Amino acid sequence: MEKAVADIHKGSSGTVAKKFGFTVKSGRAIDIDAADMSVADEVMARVPSWSLCIGCGGCTATCTAGAFADYNFRRLHLMVRRGEVTGLRGRLSACMLCGKCVLQCPRGVNTRGVIAALMELLPRD
Amino acid sequence: MVNLYFEPFIIPFIVGVVVLFSVMWTKFISWISALPQSDRRMMRSGIFSVATVVGALWEAFRECLLHLKIGRVNGRLWYMHTSLAFGWFLLIAFGKAEAILYLKTPVVPIYVDVFFRKYFPFAHVGAFGFIMDALLLFVLSGLVAAVVKRFRPSVYGMRRTTDHTLGDKLALSALWCIFPLRLLAESFNSAIYDSGSFLTGSLGALWALLLPSRSLPYINEVLWWCYSVSLGLFFVSVPISRYLHIFAEIPLIFLRSFKVRASVRATTFTKLQRAACSRCGICIDPCQLSAEGISLDTQSVYLLRDERAKGATLAKADSCLMCGRCQSVCPVGIELDVIRTSVRHDRRKATSSFDYGYLDTVHVPLATSKVGFFSGCMGRLTPSVAASMRAIAIRSGVDIWFIDEAEGICCGRPQRMAGNLDAADRMRERNEELFVESGIDTLVTSCPICLRTFREDYHLNGIRLLHHSQFIAELMEQGRLDVERGAASFAYHDPCELGRGLGIYDEPRVVLGNIGRLEEVARSRDKALCCGGSLAHLGLDMAQRDRIAAGVCAEFEATGADFIVTSCPMCKKSLSRSTETRVIDIAEAVKMAVGVEEA
Repeated sequence: MEKAVADIHKGSSGTVAKKFGFTVKSGRAIDIDAADMSVADEVMARVPSWSLCIGCGGCTATCTAGAFADYNFRRLHLMVRRGEVTGLRGRLSACMLCGKCVLQCPRGVNTRGVIAALMELLPRD
Repeated sequence: MVNLYFEPFIIPFIVGVVVLFSVMWTKFISWISALPQSDRRMMRSGIFSVATVVGALWEAFRECLLHLKIGRVNGRLWYMHTSLAFGWFLLIAFGKAEAILYLKTPVVPIYVDVFFRKYFPFAHVGAFGFIMDALLLFVLSGLVAAVVKRFRPSVYGMRRTTDHTLGDKLALSALWCIFPLRLLAESFNSAIYDSGSFLTGSLGALWALLLPSRSLPYINEVLWWCYSVSLGLFFVSVPISRYLHIFAEIPLIFLRSFKVRASVRATTFTKLQRAACSRCGICIDPCQLSAEGISLDTQSVYLLRDERAKGATLAKADSCLMCGRCQSVCPVGIELDVIRTSVRHDRRKATSSFDYGYLDTVHVPLATSKVGFFSGCMGRLTPSVAASMRAIAIRSGVDIWFIDEAEGICCGRPQRMAGNLDAADRMRERNEELFVESGIDTLVTSCPICLRTFREDYHLNGIRLLHHSQFIAELMEQGRLDVERGAASFAYHDPCELGRGLGIYDEPRVVLGNIGRLEEVARSRDKALCCGGSLAHLGLDMAQRDRIAAGVCAEFEATGADFIVTSCPMCKKSLSRSTETRVIDIAEAVKMAVGVEEA
């Protein structure tokens, strides 16, 4: 039991935590000073429907590329909205632009438009 | 001593001609000589084929002068274009003939026949006076038609006509002056020398009556100068205006007959095609983005115009459904979708970086049949289509292997249309490997988007490529799928990629005709409307897509059919959002008709 608790606190791959279905992550604060909102602002201007996103994750659930690669569009675009834009370009590069995310989006966000804009605007790593 | 017939008033005309031909030939020769090796090889083999050259000449005559393709789209517009182009051509040809006959020498400087009446006011060659007047009247009637079109496009059944650049306006003004000035100049000649036929002669008699005879020679001189200046000004502005199309269309027709084509990676042939656009504006009205008021300055004519001037913005290139409706009516036959893709590629290649290293780890399960069925990404969001195909397969006793039942790689066409050609090629290569390795001999897909890129871009070692509507039609024809004609009525929607893209119009109709009553909407086949869902457009939001779909659905509801049937998963999704009528895929319709339960 003690070991299991320790595993939970390590927040990694403890057996109990794994069975429980959740992991405990170490604290993570958004550094507002370091946030670069310029990309998010520009994407929002180009693709206004982005503001309708409720973060449901449907885009990621249906994603073709996500089935094969470590690619999570929901996480990625939420990070852009938080201003954490470094290191994202490489992660975006798995997208196949197939359009399933657009079709399933319950809010009608033009996700492909967001991806195309991000490809243009995200800083080179 | 050769008589050069030099007069000062011909200087503006001569300057215009020299500028026009030197600039134009420099452009054309530099474009043609910079064509890729493969294109030049085609040129070399085509140019020695008499049949090809004669065919091209005949096409140039039909399209550059008679404008028959415009006639098929719009009769009034045809009259305007033909009276100006063919009328002017005949004026030049008959003018030349008259001068040759009068001077009895085959070598006559071009300005002598253009200003023939000024040089030889007393010349009288057979019926030429009458013919030249009739031709001038023909051209002037075209000019009136052109003026009407500019200010009242609705007279021609057009909602909108093209917005022009400064160069266009300059050339247009000069062009509009040419023929009225010719009429005035020749009629003043008639007034002085009491010559001329029914048009110039009568007008001349009027001038002689109204004006003091002393003033006539002065006015006459000024008018001939003005006529020369307007011609010179027009010629100088041709290379910087849309009127370059008059000359560019000729090499375009020849190169096309030599099987040179535009490429998504632009070559100089793209520049020639761009120059051949006459900005007639026929492409504007068929565009649903224009009709719905979503974007008014992104149509093909504006993309080509901006590309020729300074380079179009990516936003402008992106704003297009690539439904192909404009391309199907373009009288010049410009490869509009290929050119748009090449612009997107050019504007995007610096920033787009896709990495599909993971594709090598993707595998497909072992093939269980020689016939593979590929749903594609959109098809995977409409599982009822694959389920219907499974039911149809069971009923007709054929084995189908569902390739991407678990998951599949995108065909690459969305990336191709976005201009990310390297990314698209990477997906194509991996899919080719997987399809070929699987050992199938027939690849059926319910997605026209996939089918189009399979047919146009893939190399699949002879695997037969079929749309599922074709596959079902074959099953019916071979008697493997027995169906009875039911009472249901179906209005069929032609998907853009399947219809205009691949020319598959008949098989779906045969299938639907076998199972029920087929209804046609107002605009079908090559005039079919886009559902609005197009993956080619990167900028539309869902509300705008729904607006387009609503317009399409209204046409379908007007037929009163029980079902709207389409054969593209994307169209099914788009249309079903905007109508109360049930929208089903053709496979679902067949499954209903044969009455099979879910397998």
